[in-house]
Amino acid sequence: MIPPSPPPPVKRRIRLSDVFVLSGIAVLLAFALANIQANMAAAGVHPGFGFLTKEAGFDVSETLIPYSPGSSYIRVILAGLANTVFLAGVCIILATVIGVLMGLVSVGPSPAGRWLAVAYVELFRNLPKLLVLLVLFVAAVNGLPHVREAMSAGPFHLSNRSLNFPVPLWDGKGWILLLALAAGLILPRLIEAHLQKHWGRSTPMPLSVLIGCPIVCVLAASVLFQVPSGFSVPELKGFDFQGGARVSLQFCVIAVTLGIYHGAQIAEVVRGGLQSVPKGQSEAAQALGLTRSQTIRLIILPQVIRIIIPPMNNQYVNLIKNTSIAIAVGYSDLMSVSGTVINQSFKPLEMMLITMGLYLVLCMSVATALNTYQARLIGRETR
Amino acid sequence: MTRLVPPPLLSALKSGFGTPLASLLTFLAAGLVLTVSWSAAGWLFVNAVWPWQAAEACQVNTGICWPFLVEKARFILFGTYPAGQHMRPAVVSVLLIALTVITCRQMTGKPPHLSPVQLICAWLVTVPLCFVLMGGGVFGLEPVDPVRWNGMPILLMLSVIAIVLAFPLGLALALARTQTTHKGLSWAAAGYVEATRAVPMLTVIFVGIFVLPLTLPEGMSISPVTATLVALIFFHASYFAEDIRSGLISLPRGQTEAARSLGLSYWQSIFFVGLPQAIRRALPALVNSMIGAYKDTSLVIVVGILDLTATARASFGDPGWRDHALEAYGLVGVWFFLSCAYLSSVGRSLHKQTKG
Repeated sequence: MIPPSPPPPVKRRIRLSDVFVLSGIAVLLAFALANIQANMAAAGVHPGFGFLTKEAGFDVSETLIPYSPGSSYIRVILAGLANTVFLAGVCIILATVIGVLMGLVSVGPSPAGRWLAVAYVELFRNLPKLLVLLVLFVAAVNGLPHVREAMSAGPFHLSNRSLNFPVPLWDGKGWILLLALAAGLILPRLIEAHLQKHWGRSTPMPLSVLIGCPIVCVLAASVLFQVPSGFSVPELKGFDFQGGARVSLQFCVIAVTLGIYHGAQIAEVVRGGLQSVPKGQSEAAQALGLTRSQTIRLIILPQVIRIIIPPMNNQYVNLIKNTSIAIAVGYSDLMSVSGTVINQSFKPLEMMLITMGLYLVLCMSVATALNTYQARLIGRETR
Repeated sequence: MTRLVPPPLLSALKSGFGTPLASLLTFLAAGLVLTVSWSAAGWLFVNAVWPWQAAEACQVNTGICWPFLVEKARFILFGTYPAGQHMRPAVVSVLLIALTVITCRQMTGKPPHLSPVQLICAWLVTVPLCFVLMGGGVFGLEPVDPVRWNGMPILLMLSVIAIVLAFPLGLALALARTQTTHKGLSWAAAGYVEATRAVPMLTVIFVGIFVLPLTLPEGMSISPVTATLVALIFFHASYFAEDIRSGLISLPRGQTEAARSLGLSYWQSIFFVGLPQAIRRALPALVNSMIGAYKDTSLVIVVGILDLTATARASFGDPGWRDHALEAYGLVGVWFFLSCAYLSSVGRSLHKQTKG
């Protein structure tokens, strides 16, 4: 550390230099704010957040929440936020699946596979994500067929406009399945607690029960209560698909771009994690008579997960921030919606404060959740 | 008795096809590599239209269209910069690349050996020189509006100059955050760094483009290029600050304590003992952040600044060249791949140095 040696006795005196520095920053900020006020007044705009309740008046191509051009600015910002969260969720799943698979291949037995994984990681580490996005977008727009000749795999249809897919019909009864899922997750814990209380046994439930119980509960509830009652399947009628659900081509291209771009970085994280577990660990486990799957589940995986959670946390936060490149291909995420609002309402300071605040909250909550998870893992070990 | 070692090819075959999973992976990987290289070879060589052929052949052949690249190379590199003046952006690009390479060689201990003071002076001369050369208006150079600064020089200016100027700011932020005598300053620095690192770069660029001009007193104005540059400097600085700070806190406490007990002042102990060691430790992480900053510079396309990626996108906009997006983007991709690979190699050798 930098500070000079022996820590001086704590003095509760406010230093003059501190006051100077902080008041200097405050004066600069006040100067900037006064200028903003003056400049906006000169342009005939009054600063403030009052505009949020006014009518937005522009359309958003795809939204997850009900929205029309007559809705307020608050609603359009929320629509953008919902799109960003949805996009980030899909990208996180995609990047994790690709990254873990490629990470496993890169330490796998096949030399050709290892070589391929290295080539993949190196390629995407050395290219800007925007370039990848633009190339994939041009390739998708030119390479994919028109809606009427969409590529189909069963009920899934991919064209150069959208990806159409079937969705279950919930009829407002989706909560039954959620309830069943919760019950299936809690039940093994209850049994475990019961066993411990009455029989003094503290053996943890086997993995098959932990995973199987929720699945059985959800399936049983689904059959019993007829949820979902059916599926809405997209069908080609006229110039577009009717029924089912759709995501735009823009969404698909961004999801694939961020999936493979961050997949490459996650593959490196996973490879590092796997290689950091000493070989002696698995040898010792086998010497103790554990089977191969037991070794992986009880010895290797817990150590790997502990090592990779901090860098994965970093990756997920970066990925959420990177969804803002969606603006480059015109997907209506938070960033592009706030750009449109700025151009319309001329409230750049207010809008940027809102946008940055929302991104801040989004990133912080994901980071905090993963940090808590890691703290719990470490806590469990030292208990 | 000596054990027989199988020849390398045999052992590779054995590991590649030893288990069912390994053989499956090998087949999949080999299949993928063969398909990709087959179509790449077809595009690059078999169906290619070579530079000396007529451009009309591109309508028929499906391969790479060299006449397109020959015709558009200048546009992709310099965009709408006045055609007679292309020497100026070319000189700016070469200057910035050369100075970057010299600085990288300096860090890894290769010739030419310059003193840190010489290096800093070189940068101090080059940065304003770039603006003078691009903008003109003095020394008989024809003035050129910043809107027409396109392509390679603007990419390099917004990345290299932003990084070079962000470094001292990051250093100051890291020092402000680690010192303990001024609590208020340390909190302000920590708050700034953490907040900037939790928002996307695009939001900071937007602040630069839309909010920064508003904060200036009446009568002053700022061009979009300069506003973006300022935003990028403030954004990258917080990442560099975090890298330098981790180098600072990894130093054993005894280092600065010993310097202080030898009678050095606070600033002397920082500049002669603390910082040199901290920066050496932080360099691999810093180089990584710099590569990230360089790659992300292409995002300025969103606020209407035409860097290399944007001129490539514009180059296939003419009706006649619509099908040649891959050639234009390929050129940009090759440039980024090579330059990033060079920077990564610098990072790797720095990593080896700090370990060894």
